Amino acid sequence: MRFAVVAVLSGIGLFFSLSAAVGILRMPDLYTRLQCSSKSITMGALPLLVAVAVAKGPISAYGGRALFVGLLIMLLGSATAHALSRAAYKVDVPMWRGSVADEPREGEPSE
Amino acid sequence: MSVLLQAVCIAELLIVLLLLVRLARGPSVADRLLALNTMSSQAAVAVLFFAAFADRSFYADVSLWLASFSYLAALIWARYLERGLL
Repeated sequence: MRFAVVAVLSGIGLFFSLSAAVGILRMPDLYTRLQCSSKSITMGALPLLVAVAVAKGPISAYGGRALFVGLLIMLLGSATAHALSRAAYKVDVPMWRGSVADEPREGEPSE
Repeated sequence: MSVLLQAVCIAELLIVLLLLVRLARGPSVADRLLALNTMSSQAAVAVLFFAAFADRSFYADVSLWLASFSYLAALIWARYLERGLL
């Protein structure tokens, strides 16, 4: 039973991690790649860490650290993605030519 | 159970290898930072799985360190990038 839970959680985590890596390789510009990267944290890394906590028990040396790593990754991953996209926008990293909206440059969208 | 954890650890390392392509090829510095950041979080997970299957709790601390300090590094790189120093 416990093995099945760990296997399913690992499968979900590995699938999303792999698809995020493929997305980072294949997406056309930085901003879409950033979106793939943040998905890999919430849907890729968190199920894997929960899988460790289930396999070894949440109170063990591994499970507790796994949950704490999950908390850290969840808090800091989004902050890092935000800081990186803001910095990249300020130094004019180009957008994909098919992009349709650039709201900070055009000012607030008028009603 | 140990074999499953081992397989997940190796698969995570293969994903890190896939991200290494973007790190080498990324047209701008920000692309490279993004690839490095994703790689470090995946590597933290891989190290934790290694600690779990090899039963060495020391490596769980390594994973915790990697998860916390790699993000600090990424934030500082982003700061330098924003000020135009990179």
